[in-house]
Amino acid sequence: MTTATAVLDAHGLTKTFDGHTVLQGLDLEVGGGEFISVMGPSGSGKSTLLYNISGMDTMTAGSVAFAGQDLASLSQKQLARLRLTTMGFIFQHVYLLKNLCLLDNVVLPAYLAGLAPREQLNERAMALMRRTGVAELADRDVSEASGGQLQRIGICRALINQPTILFCDEPTGALDSAAAAEIMDILGELNTEGTTIMLVTHDAKVAARTSRVLYLIDGRIVGDRHQGRYDGTRHDQRHLELTEWLLEQGL
Amino acid sequence: MRLNARPRGVARPDDPAVDTPVPNRPGTGREARGDPRSRRRGGRFGLYGRMVARDVARNRGITTALVALMMLSVMLGTASAGTLVRLIGASSNLMTLADAPHVAQLHAGEFDQPEVDRWAAGRLEVAHHQAMLMLGIDGGNLRFGGEPQTDSIQQNSLVVPNGAHDLLLDLENRPITRIEPGTIVLPVIYEGQDGLAVGDTVTITGAAGFTKDLTIAGFARDSIMNPAIASSKRLAVAPVDLEEVRARTGEVEHLVEFWLQDPATQSAGFKKAYQDAGMPQAGPMVDSATFQTLTVIGDGMVASVVILVSMLLLVVGLLCLRFSFLTAAEQDYREIGVLKAIGVAPRDVRRIYLTKYALLAGVASLLGLVGGLSLTPVLTRNITRYMGTASTPWNWIVPILAAALIFVVLVLFVLVLLRRFRKISAVVALSAGATHQPKATRVRLHRSRMPVQVRLGTMDVIARWPTYLLLLVVFAVSTFIMIVPVNSATTANAPGFINYMGIGTVDLRIDLRSTDEGSPDAFGAVVEQLEADPSVAVIAPMVTTRNDTIDRDGNAASLYIENGDHGRLPLTYAEGRAPTGGSEIALSLLALHQSGLGVGDTLPVEVEGQVRDLSVVGSYQDITHGGKTAKSSLPTGSEEVMWYVIGVELAPGADASAITREYGEQFAPAKVADIEQWRSQTLGSTAQQLTVAAGVSAVVAIVLAALMTALFARMLLARDAGQIAIQRAIGADDAGLRQQYLTRILLVLVLGVIVGTVAANTLGELMFNLMFEGMYGGFETLAQGTSRIDFSVNPLLAYALLPAALLGVVTVVTAASSRSISTTEISSLTTE
Repeated sequence: MTTATAVLDAHGLTKTFDGHTVLQGLDLEVGGGEFISVMGPSGSGKSTLLYNISGMDTMTAGSVAFAGQDLASLSQKQLARLRLTTMGFIFQHVYLLKNLCLLDNVVLPAYLAGLAPREQLNERAMALMRRTGVAELADRDVSEASGGQLQRIGICRALINQPTILFCDEPTGALDSAAAAEIMDILGELNTEGTTIMLVTHDAKVAARTSRVLYLIDGRIVGDRHQGRYDGTRHDQRHLELTEWLLEQGL
Repeated sequence: MRLNARPRGVARPDDPAVDTPVPNRPGTGREARGDPRSRRRGGRFGLYGRMVARDVARNRGITTALVALMMLSVMLGTASAGTLVRLIGASSNLMTLADAPHVAQLHAGEFDQPEVDRWAAGRLEVAHHQAMLMLGIDGGNLRFGGEPQTDSIQQNSLVVPNGAHDLLLDLENRPITRIEPGTIVLPVIYEGQDGLAVGDTVTITGAAGFTKDLTIAGFARDSIMNPAIASSKRLAVAPVDLEEVRARTGEVEHLVEFWLQDPATQSAGFKKAYQDAGMPQAGPMVDSATFQTLTVIGDGMVASVVILVSMLLLVVGLLCLRFSFLTAAEQDYREIGVLKAIGVAPRDVRRIYLTKYALLAGVASLLGLVGGLSLTPVLTRNITRYMGTASTPWNWIVPILAAALIFVVLVLFVLVLLRRFRKISAVVALSAGATHQPKATRVRLHRSRMPVQVRLGTMDVIARWPTYLLLLVVFAVSTFIMIVPVNSATTANAPGFINYMGIGTVDLRIDLRSTDEGSPDAFGAVVEQLEADPSVAVIAPMVTTRNDTIDRDGNAASLYIENGDHGRLPLTYAEGRAPTGGSEIALSLLALHQSGLGVGDTLPVEVEGQVRDLSVVGSYQDITHGGKTAKSSLPTGSEEVMWYVIGVELAPGADASAITREYGEQFAPAKVADIEQWRSQTLGSTAQQLTVAAGVSAVVAIVLAALMTALFARMLLARDAGQIAIQRAIGADDAGLRQQYLTRILLVLVLGVIVGTVAANTLGELMFNLMFEGMYGGFETLAQGTSRIDFSVNPLLAYALLPAALLGVVTVVTAASSRSISTTEISSLTTE
């Protein structure tokens, strides 16, 4: 599908590791405001797609344009700046810096970007933490929070610079179902507010809450399903339909 | 030990919310699965050996550095031990071969041999005695290879070598008992000086155009006057030449020598008896212990410095070992859990590590021993030249024991470190995955105004300070070994150093020895002339006498007392003030210590045949005349005068060098020296050697700091690979990350420089003073406060230029090492 407001546009995206091709000349266009989940068996290239399309890893061949800008033409410094100011990343294991308190972990990207006075950035971080329900943990250490709380901190950190797009690599993979549902609620809200989200997941329940599902096998997109915006209703029905579709894809 | 090597050496953090690299997934190898077949095939040693080899290969950088440090420590340890044992062996060998006297008295003036013979015959403890005639030649009348010896502070005397006892030895340690007429044998110290070699000419001149040329036939070792610090030198000639010269020039002195039945117990009593009997004593009296001390002091100091450096390197080596151990343990934490989980006994786990480090320490000790044995001949070059060698098995046994001792220290240290493995539980190890969890600090990023990367760097140093301890110690040690020799050299070269040589701030110094009845008149004439000279502003004439004193324990002892007006051209007193009249006395720190008195006490001194109680009103440092001197204003007329000294301050604008030359000619045989020349000659080559040592130490320090910085930075970056990947993922650029690592290392450097500088000015100054205390008072005066020299620091050099050099080198090395930040793969964070 081609949208008028494409945020990401990848052509012939190829990635090889030690002679093994993980992504095989993949084409993908991501429209502004989309909520995409990427699914597929282990080793199909889901995370590799995420890291290459976001410029975090260097592709072997092909091109990726972010907001019309060719990522291959950017220097490492420009790429770092792009990640800092326009992209947000959420990881399965959060990867917080353990010698910083939780608030410090959230404000760190904002301080690095330096786009506003620090007091203002601190207030923005606290606002995000209040919104995700972890404000009272601000001064705590990483070791003093649960997995779900840490993932919310990870989301706050990803959002602190008000990115146009969020990349999420199995954000609920290490959480129990209740915590996972809460995280997906937050992501859904963000998407409703206009943030484009691209999410890698193994979980069909999670994917059922996104508007578009890509299915990868051996580094190729073998299925691209548009299932409409999730409005909080018909969840079981969406889940069922998606499961059937996945079975059709050969899952 | 990690059981399966990580392919690209990059950490793969997959531990929830943890920024530390995660060990590999365990259990791919047969060993890890505890497959008994692997044990059957390779045996336990084979398994351990393979694990050790893999571990060494994986951490090649740190292993190499660790082995290098241990090796250097062993090398310097064995070399210095070898040097000391050879030094002691060679010096006692020289004393034995030369049959050095047990007590020797130099006497200038009339000498009554039969009187000495009669007295000696009545002393049961005297085994043998003899007197040697020494013909002192003034420096102005002596030329070596055309070079006049006017400026030399050595007293050169012609002698006819003894046929038995107190022998001069050639460079093969064979006795020289006969010299061909027309030739001369010089002390070995002169060999090579100004290119002096066998076949060159020594010229002696005298009154009425007398000139005598003698050809150098060889060089000799002198058991009692070998080193530069002993200011008398014996030049051996044929009897006929001695008589010829004696008829035209020179001053006759006699060296009266005694060999005792049991020098260890009889020496002190004998010396006192000799002096009390009024035997010839117009000159210094020394014993064999003093000869030996003077002989070994220079090389002993070098060996002591090398031992010190070796010990510092051992400390750095131990810290590096700890760092290496913790890094390996952290990498292997989960594997240790696996081993424990499959039932391997904790003892066996410890044995794996012990095998590795004992192997490394063993290799390092062996290499170090070989290196040390090869280095020993370099360090003992002077010893061999001045004293020859003594072949004993101890020359080999002692260095080997030193290497073995260091090896044992290293292994014991590993055993202490291994105790922490007892605490590892299999379950915790498997679930946590790493021992090293950075602790959060109470320091907060969001409360800081500092640049982000600088702040992050600072916070990391605070949070993980034990990790940085190694580097801190290295920087502190580097600073210390850079500043102490530099401060020692600037102190010894500073004009103010003469204060510690028992003399106030003067421009010139005139020394006149008391040789006969004419000496007081000669001294008076010099004083008179100086007082009349308009280019002289102030003079301080001093007459040194030898007086008997009684110490606190009631023992009688002789003391050299410098009498005169000490208010003129005063020196700086360590305690108290200058004596002002005949009832007061100031003692040198060593004399004060040995008398058992303090400032404020009284010292009974025999003056004009009467015992006077003098108040001790001050103490000062004096490193001349064996460190034991005193100052007072006693009557000198009827006392035994040893020498005269006149301190001279010139009028403003007077040409010091021209006046020195003029007075030198006018007042001969008095020695006239401008004070700078006197200082540099009296300290001999010590100050010069210190300058060379300072340069070498500075280079060594900077190289050590550079190597350890490179190693540490590499290890730190490897350990922090996960943390770096996270920061890069959230948008930190490489330049910023490099800034963060530079901040960490420079912060530690600044702390290290501060610690090192403080230590250099306290501990370093203490060591410098200990060196002087040991040199002058022997072991019993160590740390007794008999030397209180303050470092004279060149702040620009010590506190600006040298730290700046260190800073520059460390910055460059860190910047170069942290380039690898760019190669850290963010994709290591992927879950696939």
